[in-house]
Amino acid sequence: MDKFIYLLMEGYRSLWRAKLSTFSSIVTIGVTLSFVGFGAMATSNLARLANESRTNYTIEVFFTQLTTDSEAQEIMNEIISMDGVREGVLITKQEAAEIYQKVFDENIYDFLDRNPLPTSCEIKLEESGLEPAEIEPVVKAIEAMDRVEKVSYPAKAITLIENYFQGILSVVALISMAILMGTTVLVSNTIRLTIYSRKDLIRILKLVGATDQFVKIPFIVEGIIVGIAGGVLSSLLTYLFIRTANSFLKFFTLPQLIWDWRVIILLLLVVVLFSILGSRKAVKKLLT
Amino acid sequence: MIRFSNATFSFKGSAGVSDATFSVDEGEFICIIGPTGAGKTTLLRMIYMDAIPQEGSVEVAGFSSDKIRSKQIALLRRKVGMVFQDFELLDDRSVFENVALPLHVIGMSREDVHSKVDIVLDKLGLTEKSHNLPHQLSGGEQQIVSLARAIVKDPIVVLADEPTGNLDPAASFKILKLLEAIQESGTAVLMATHNYNLVKDRNYRFFEIIKGQVRVSSG
Repeated sequence: MDKFIYLLMEGYRSLWRAKLSTFSSIVTIGVTLSFVGFGAMATSNLARLANESRTNYTIEVFFTQLTTDSEAQEIMNEIISMDGVREGVLITKQEAAEIYQKVFDENIYDFLDRNPLPTSCEIKLEESGLEPAEIEPVVKAIEAMDRVEKVSYPAKAITLIENYFQGILSVVALISMAILMGTTVLVSNTIRLTIYSRKDLIRILKLVGATDQFVKIPFIVEGIIVGIAGGVLSSLLTYLFIRTANSFLKFFTLPQLIWDWRVIILLLLVVVLFSILGSRKAVKKLLT
Repeated sequence: MIRFSNATFSFKGSAGVSDATFSVDEGEFICIIGPTGAGKTTLLRMIYMDAIPQEGSVEVAGFSSDKIRSKQIALLRRKVGMVFQDFELLDDRSVFENVALPLHVIGMSREDVHSKVDIVLDKLGLTEKSHNLPHQLSGGEQQIVSLARAIVKDPIVVLADEPTGNLDPAASFKILKLLEAIQESGTAVLMATHNYNLVKDRNYRFFEIIKGQVRVSSG
């Protein structure tokens, strides 16, 4: 335990000795990572909006004229049990006539001696997170069912929303990967510089019997500290971005961006992972 | 404890060590003499396995150069104390921290490190300087700190490579007396020097090395 604490302290002390280069690395990592933070936060909010839209996607299923309400109920239950379907509401012939009266302010029986409106149901889909809503397979499966006359849904609108969302998601993912790779290189370079400046320490440690692990661990610790500090800085910048963006969105009565802690925690974890990779890369190259 | 069997280590443009065969027992004081570039430093490097012989073998404290792995080299060096001409101290650490370094490496607890370092600093008269940085000390004092770092881990042998090379005669003599005290306490000492006048009247076992050829004599 004493050895572990000593190694942690060595990492911290070494960073403190190289204050200026450490500070500039943290700022560079923080600023570049804040773009990942903005992107992740914007994606999280877009996903929320897209999911809200998805919950409003409605598939209307019209049954044949001879289908009774109880048969329609059975078919609807079958539809609800399908993957990706959240709920369904049955609209009987009588309810359809009431809706007609409400919408057109006319009683259908006033000019027809029977109710020609079919029994139908409205189907809603489950939230699909970042994945596009799988609406086509559901529609095809319903269309193939007996006693289903017609299936109606806003295909164009759904395609537009999904394509738009998936496009943004791909761009953000690409940019984020590029920045995270850059972070690895930055951390690696910072640690490489530290290793060069601590050549005397490394030589003496090896002479007094330090194992390779003992020599390497403080540099890995340094990389993690630089990564965490950069991650925290980027979180702060992302928070400022959300606040500033919301103050603008307010003027246009657009939906407000919501701060998502999960995104920040994920960002920090990813940064730590990439920092470990970066410092390991430097250590592996210079200390073996 | 140390056994060279026809050990050869050579490198371009330098004599290295050629076909050396000798052994050193526990608690011996060996003085390795020879001109600059004769191979004294290489001989010491072979003992702490910084130079693995290309031919023959070197055996130190049960570790053989034939079979040793890199992890075992670290373990071997924990049994060997080293002192260099240019002290090899860490400039940004106090005397105490420099001396404590080998004990942290072996994973000693903080309390034990403190008591052990305090004892050694007291023995070598450095207690009052324990918070000083190396550059605040004279050359002789820095070499004593280097000696303290070498003996704090209770090594079986201390290797001193030109320990008096950068010191004035008075400081050199003091270092020599301290090395003799270390040997009297049971630790073997191998000291390399090109300053024959400093050691010619001492009752040591001498190894003379010229162009890599080691000749063992009784001094």
